[in-house]
Formats: sequence, C-alpha cells, structure tokens
Amino acid sequence: MALIEVTNLKYRYPHTENLALDGIDFKVEKGQFIGIAGENKAGKSTLCQAFAGLVPTMFRGAYGGKLLIDGAEAAKTPIAELCQRVGLVFQNPFNQLSGAKDTVFEEIAFGLQNLGIPREEIFKRVEENLKLLDIEEYRDRNPFDLSGGQTQRVAIASILAMEPQVIVLDEPTSQLDPQGSEEVFRVVEKLAKTGITIIMVEQKMEKLASYCDKILLLHKGKQIAYDTPERIFSRDDLEELGVKPPVYTQVCRALEVSRVEGGDRLYPVTLAQMERLRDQFPPKLSGRTFVSGGQEIDGQAVFRIQDLTFHYLPDIPVIEHLDLLLDARPTAIIGQNGAGKTTLVKLLKGLLKPNAGNIFFDDEDISQKTVAQLAGKVGYVFQNPDDQIFKNRVMEEVMVGPLNLGKSREEAHKLAADALEMVGLTEAAEENPYDLDLSERKMVAIASVMAMDTKVLILDEPTIAQDAKGRVVLGRIVRTLSKKGKFVLAILHDMDFVAEYFERVIIMAHGKVLSDGPGEKVFYEKESLLKARLEQPHTARLCERLGYEGAFLTAEDMKV
Amino acid sequence: MKSISLYVDKDTCLTRLHPFAKMFYILAAVSAPLIGGALWIYGLFLAISLCLLISGKIIRKVFPLIAFSFTIIITIFLIHGLFNQENQKVLFHLGPLVFYEEGLLYAARIGLNILNMLLAFATFVLTTKPADLVDDLEQAGFSPRFGYMISSVFQIIPQMMGTMNTIMDAQRSRGMETEGSLFVRAKAFIPLISPVVSSSLINTRERAIALEVRGFDSKNKKTFLREHKLAGKDKTFMLLMALLIAGSIVWRVLTWL
Repeated sequence: MALIEVTNLKYRYPHTENLALDGIDFKVEKGQFIGIAGENKAGKSTLCQAFAGLVPTMFRGAYGGKLLIDGAEAAKTPIAELCQRVGLVFQNPFNQLSGAKDTVFEEIAFGLQNLGIPREEIFKRVEENLKLLDIEEYRDRNPFDLSGGQTQRVAIASILAMEPQVIVLDEPTSQLDPQGSEEVFRVVEKLAKTGITIIMVEQKMEKLASYCDKILLLHKGKQIAYDTPERIFSRDDLEELGVKPPVYTQVCRALEVSRVEGGDRLYPVTLAQMERLRDQFPPKLSGRTFVSGGQEIDGQAVFRIQDLTFHYLPDIPVIEHLDLLLDARPTAIIGQNGAGKTTLVKLLKGLLKPNAGNIFFDDEDISQKTVAQLAGKVGYVFQNPDDQIFKNRVMEEVMVGPLNLGKSREEAHKLAADALEMVGLTEAAEENPYDLDLSERKMVAIASVMAMDTKVLILDEPTIAQDAKGRVVLGRIVRTLSKKGKFVLAILHDMDFVAEYFERVIIMAHGKVLSDGPGEKVFYEKESLLKARLEQPHTARLCERLGYEGAFLTAEDMKV
Repeated sequence: MKSISLYVDKDTCLTRLHPFAKMFYILAAVSAPLIGGALWIYGLFLAISLCLLISGKIIRKVFPLIAFSFTIIITIFLIHGLFNQENQKVLFHLGPLVFYEEGLLYAARIGLNILNMLLAFATFVLTTKPADLVDDLEQAGFSPRFGYMISSVFQIIPQMMGTMNTIMDAQRSRGMETEGSLFVRAKAFIPLISPVVSSSLINTRERAIALEVRGFDSKNKKTFLREHKLAGKDKTFMLLMALLIAGSIVWRVLTWL
C-alpha cells in the first residue's frame, strides 16, 4: 500500500461558493519527492493544510473524499496525533515560531515537550537536527533575532525533530531573499537524500524539476496532471495554467531540442538532461550585442547623490562616500543582504537622513524636507505589504495616498481605479485587503503607491511571492511607467526578471557600487558578480555551458 | 530583540534561588509588617531587601525606582503631615506650614509600606527570568495554556513595537505628516492603531495553526527540559521567612496582652 493515498478529495472553505479542492486523486510511495505546481489560488496551500489535518479540522467547511496517511484518515485524526506523521512548514517562517521560547534550542524542543517525549530523547533529537540543518551556532540565540533563511531552517528543524514520516513544505522560500532561499534549498536537498517522504509547493520550477520524482499540477482546485517533471513541463497548455516551465525547458522549446518517448515530444527540464541532447543544439546563436562604452546619461538626472555617507551605528558604516547619478531609465539595484540597498533607497525616500553628503532630487536638496512633503514625488513600496495596509477596503486603501496629497475624492477615486486596473485587481476593489492572499496584497501595496502618481517609484523586492502571471504584470508596470517618463527603481534578487525588464543594472556590495550599466554589460562582469555573491541570469549561464559566444539574458535572446 | 522583561542576567545566589522561594519572600515582606504592626518591622524588611539586592548585584537598577517612589512618598508626607483629620499634636513649624505628629506617623506607615513592597518585588522581578518562572509554574501544575499566554506576551510585545516603527514609515511614505509639533505627532498616532492590531491578529491566526501542528493540544503529559525542584537552600530560605512571619504574629499577640 502507498504511504499517502488521496481519493477524490474535495473541499470548500466556509462562506465561499467555489471548491478550493475539486477531485484530487493521487498516491505517494514512501521516500518519494513530490512537487506541487500551479498558479496562485490553484489550491496548493489548501492541499498542504489537508495533509496536516488543518483542513477541515481547524478551518471547517465542506469536505469530501479521503486522504489516507499510512492508513490513518487525515480528516478524522486529531491534529496533535497527525502531526507526528505529517510535518507542515509554512511560507512565513516567523509565524511558525511558537512565540514563547527564548532560544533556538528550546524552540526546537517545544513540540517534543508537548508530545511528552522523554527528556533524554528530546536532547538527542534537538542536537541531531541542529546539526542536520546547520544551525548549531545559533542554538542559544533568540529565534526572533535570526534572518529569514536561518529562521526557516529553525522552523524545519522543529518540525523534523518530531520525526514525521512525511514533511510538507508550502513554498518555504517564497518570503526569503535568494541567500535565505539557497540555505533552505541546500537543506531540502540534504533531506531528500535521507529518504523521508517530501511534498513541496514551489514557484521556482528549476528546483522542482531537479528534485522531484513526480509533480502534481493544479489549476483552480482541479488536478490537471500527476506525472514526471519532464512530461509536466513539456505540456503545451502551461501558459494558460499560469505556470512557467524551467528556463532550460523554455530554451529547448525555442530551439526545438527534444526527445520522443512513447509518441510524446519531451523537452529537457534540467541542465543534465539538456547536456545529453547536446548534439541537437545549433552550432551558433546571435544573441544580444554588447553595448560598448561606459554608462551614458540620457536626459536629465533624477537623483544626484554626492559623497553620501550613512551608518546606523557610528563604527559600522553602511554607505561610504557614494557618488551616483540616477536618470529616468528603469534601474535595478542588485546585491546580497547587507549590501546597503534598502538603506540607499530609504535615504532617497527621506526615511533616513544622511550622516554626510547630499542627495539632490530634481536639483533640490532633500535633506531639508519631511518624508510627507516628498511623498507626492517619490513613491516607495515596502517589502512587506502588511506594513502598509491601513484600510479595510481595497479601494479605500489605494485612495489613502492621493487623499493625503490633497486630491479631491473624485480625483483620488479615478487615480485609484487606474492603479488597480494596472495591477489587475479591479474586481477586488470592494474586498478587504486582509482577505486577499499575499501576492495580491503586494499588488494592492504597489497600486496604493502608484495611485499617488509620483515621478519616482521605488519597489523593494516586488517579485517575492509572485507567480508567473504576477511577474508579467509587474514587468508591464515597469515598462508602462517608464514610457510615461517616470523613474522606476527596484531592489531585486531575481536576476531573470532584472535581465528582462531593466535597462540599467547596479551591483552593490558593502555600500559601494561595483558595477553599473546595461544588463548585457553588467551580467558579463564576472568579477563583480562574484564579489557581490550574485549569479548570472539562468539563460546566460546556460549559454555559457553550451559554449555560445555573445550576450544572452532571456530565452528570447537565443535566436539562430 | 529588545526585551521588555526587567530581568538582569547575572549569575548570583539570588538569581539561582527558586522563583517560588522569592515569591515567598514577597509574601513575608508584605505580610509580616502588617501583622506585626510595628514600624521597626518595616525597617527590618527594608534592610533584608537591600542586603538581597546588594548580594544580587542589582542595587543600581533599583535606584531609579526608589527615586520615583520618593516623589509619591513626599506628597503623602505633605498632605498627611499638614491636613490629616486626626492631627492634634504640633511637631514642628516650617515657615507658615505646621506639621502634626499623627499625620506624619500615618504618612510614614504608608511610605514605608510602598518602599517595602517596591524593594521586595524588585528582588523578585529583577532576578527571575519570566521563562523560568512560567516553566516552574507549569511544573507545579498550572496549565500550559496559561503558561504560554504569559511567555508569549514577553515575545510578542517587543515584536509589535518593531512593527509599529515600520508602519509609521509606511504612513509617512504615503504622505501623512508625522514629523513636527506634538499635535502633529499625536494625530499621526491614531491611524497607526488599526494596522498594528490587524497585522498582529493575522499573525495570531497563523500562530494558532503553528502551535497546533507542534502538538500543543496533545493529551500526553508535557516533558520539561529541566527538572527544577526546590533545593535544600531554597527550603531553608523559605523556612526562615516562615519564621519571620510567625515571629511577627507572636509580636502582635505579645503587644496585645
């Protein structure tokens, strides 16, 4: 018998009309690694909660069909018992800390204490998991003082310590920066080798493709397919389903590199599979042309930064003697955590005041102005949308900014409606922002700043938690605003997104600019990338592996 | 993370003393002078508290508390020394002000009471880690839910304060004036309340789920990471305090006779 058996599972949340899960049907053998893919609202998280018994035990609602885990029916087993078979790891690591323990060690022990495991056994298991997740050095730290990636590893350790047979990871990296994501993926890879059964929801398809035995593809609560990554990502209807296949598959599709199995055309989904079909690749590709020469300033400078110095603590400088000109080209700032990126944009926004040096906006020194006075000119979208949502209707929320700027209600309404249309949330205007999911709340936050019609729009990590469709919407916003003559400045970790939509790329490390220019130049400056601990976009790395000469930033660049 | 607990992390006898023993000290320090009724008993306990605080190396932390309580105590002395309705015997003149003995005695009693309680509580609060106290309470039979409630307050309030600063930045960014006169700042505070509450409510919902999947509702008997029973030293200390209470009862009975 299979370890997990799902038969015709249906579920509807209370007070809703549509089924969140509609006829899910699949089996998982012990030790398998199963991926779940689909656009937002496909039912991925709901399914994860069904594994842990939270659906229906905690959320109520209408439930039908069966979900058996090692013979036990999830819906009928008390959660306290089920949690010893299935461990659930959430998206947001901070919300799954117990919130009552002062040290990492005690945090991991918390669940075991509740289960009444003997003390010696608890100590043994906590030690083992500290080691497995590589968090031994934080054992006495307060879990709330750790970074996102570290906290997520603590969360995974605290679940693993309970020794479940299955571990369910619900987009464990969606709210982490790339460094944190990498830390978590390294751990997931390690886990896969231990033979524990893993079910993982993930938007980074390259990862799913390389880890998974099988992928469950969901769309609007329905099961579309349950098959090998190769077969799933070779489907022709992925775009309609809101799923973007791995870069490798996109490239192979563009170049028609494939193999045929059982009458089906299959495209490679990993780098390894791709190299096996090496001889099918064309000998030469044209790619983008390198832009020679240094940075050129088209038009007028928007921000002029002169000899800027800033520190939070007197002896630890964050930014030192920075000189930078920012013009109206859409610009991405990339770099690792602690490089000073968020500090820099907060200085531009006036939220922080420089210790030395000046920042001129349209030739006016901004240090003399309050943040509110600058609000009409410089818009800033925070990384966490929940920090900037104040109202209980989306429309009201988006109107806050324009009203603060002294616009009439009619004008504000018009601006808000336009902004909501751009982010694709016109239909959600009357809803409570807190009823929307994270990716939509992020869009509300962006709309609420766009509605202020500022000359500058600063976005801090806009792509986190967005699926393929969300990223397209964001890209369109960057292009539209830029066409209107606005300046879009974004902090990003998603190199593929940067390569596709931004004309100017700035690499920062330790408060300094390492490289600055168009993507096709910056992404080929290996030394700077290495120093800033960044990677080239997937396509660029791929073409290099395949031995093509030239600049390739997106799959579209790979023309014969 | 900034902590809101007053606990000072020092490895002293007082810190190591079992929380229950320290709680028993508070009981003794508060009840004995009330039972005994004589002013010198207050003096005795003030002296013990001060000795304990010095041995715990936390006497410096108490000075601001004492200084603050003095503003209240002085007011009490003024009011009762001058205006207590039982005032009869004039004690001294201070310019046009006349102080009476009855009122001053009464004020001394209240003042000593305040100071005594303050110091007794300080010995407890400054040397006991909230987490340890909760752990010991649970081991003594309190429900884990109650224990969780207490310890989560110590974690969640500092977190909320952090959120508040971020939200304030977000408000400023959207054109709400938060800098300037007191009035402007006060006006900016009101719209802060709803997002802080909403975001912590959302976190609470997720946290409830988080506890659930960690077996918080399990029917099994909880395991404690460290066994913390009353040691010989703790028992001796508590016995001493019991003797002091008993002594004060004897004193009271003797003075009656």
